[in-house]
Amino acid sequence: MESEKLGFYPGCTLEGSSSGYAESMLKVFDLLKIPIKELDDWSCCGASSAHALDHELHLALNLRNLALAEKQDFKELLAPCAACYHRLISTNNEFYLDNALLASLNKQTGLNYQGKVKVRNILDFLIHQVGIEKIENQVAHSLSSLKIACYYGCLNTRIPRLLPFDKVEYPESMDQIIKALGAETAEWSYKTECCGAGLGITAEDISNKLVSKILLDATAKEVDCIVVACPMCHVNLDTRQDKIIQQFDIPKEIPIYYITQLMGLAFGIEEQFLGIKQNFMPALQI
Amino acid sequence: MVNSSFSYLHENVSYCYQCSKCSAGCPVADDMDLLPHQIIHSLAIGEDSEALKSHTIWICAGCYTCSVRCPNDINITSVMDDLRKKSITLNLPSPKPEVLKFHRAFIKDMQRRGRVHELRFMGEYNLKIGKPFNNIEIAPKMFLKRRLKVLPPKAIKGFKTWSRKLWNPKN
Repeated sequence: MESEKLGFYPGCTLEGSSSGYAESMLKVFDLLKIPIKELDDWSCCGASSAHALDHELHLALNLRNLALAEKQDFKELLAPCAACYHRLISTNNEFYLDNALLASLNKQTGLNYQGKVKVRNILDFLIHQVGIEKIENQVAHSLSSLKIACYYGCLNTRIPRLLPFDKVEYPESMDQIIKALGAETAEWSYKTECCGAGLGITAEDISNKLVSKILLDATAKEVDCIVVACPMCHVNLDTRQDKIIQQFDIPKEIPIYYITQLMGLAFGIEEQFLGIKQNFMPALQI
Repeated sequence: MVNSSFSYLHENVSYCYQCSKCSAGCPVADDMDLLPHQIIHSLAIGEDSEALKSHTIWICAGCYTCSVRCPNDINITSVMDDLRKKSITLNLPSPKPEVLKFHRAFIKDMQRRGRVHELRFMGEYNLKIGKPFNNIEIAPKMFLKRRLKVLPPKAIKGFKTWSRKLWNPKN
């Protein structure tokens, strides 16, 4: 593993409103002794907006970051944000399937990407690169008293025309990690149901309805918290939960954690280094 | 990919055999005027005017459920993207103008420095939709929790000029 140089693509939210995700991830990687270096000069992946209005703009934005990663000699690029991951890997895949497209876009944008960078998802990396055993061995405080719902959302596993690292409809990678931390995981029906993503801002009524179903099913399964691997899912489930609970008669608050925050807690890292206070819903006593 | 019906599409909608799996799994189908399989059907028979005017293309959440379930491997989410672009090119009024304003404000902010300054972007979006206090209830808490950064992110050298060749912010 150490021979492969690993790059870190934070993206705008991990540098901004979801800095707790980046903070906890870097702490956890440090403890697991996984060297990772931030991609120098990275720019926005276009998020939901570039592809929504212009496919070529979306491709070019991601081409820029892939070309930078290649130039900076990163063999692999880890994007913990599910949206950034989706944009980067689907662009890379489109180039893989259509070499002429890459050549023409390279020419148009003045870049020279050869298609050599591998884009990695955080769950994929933790399961297949780090390995469950190493995660298990790092646990200092088992989360054995907790029952947790793993919420994958849309963009971690749904990549068109690409063999996913996990099952698309009922993924289990996050469940395996949570089990390795000692907790029980819930079998539930909303693992990959959409939270509404950007509709949380532009059509809050639709997004709140979708989030309410997720929260209701999690509550019915009597979980102590929900764990996510996507800043957009986190914002929709966490920051507006107060309002949604009232509107849809959801019986109780459910804390929402990033996967790396729970890993950090189980590894014995203090809460203050994991960005947990940035979450809106009150933290569990772990 | 070559398409028999509309050259602006990146996908071949002729593969569709109307199983409706896309509509069955769509999380926002309840709020759509045309269901995803109806959009694809209209395009496949060479009729795009209803699709281009539809609510559907503006409230699609971009979750890709339809795309990964399509038995004929049509990336339906990408078709929605192409339809949105075409409707902008034709200057059709968006039935959900907030969504268009959101994406435009996002791209505009991103083009300034290469990275998005969430506070400024959200402020500009609110002004654009004429609701300066939209989403304001979570703002104080975001500040208190140090999640809204007041200072903008690092500016990427040359990004503005480079990206404006790809996208004119007046689009």
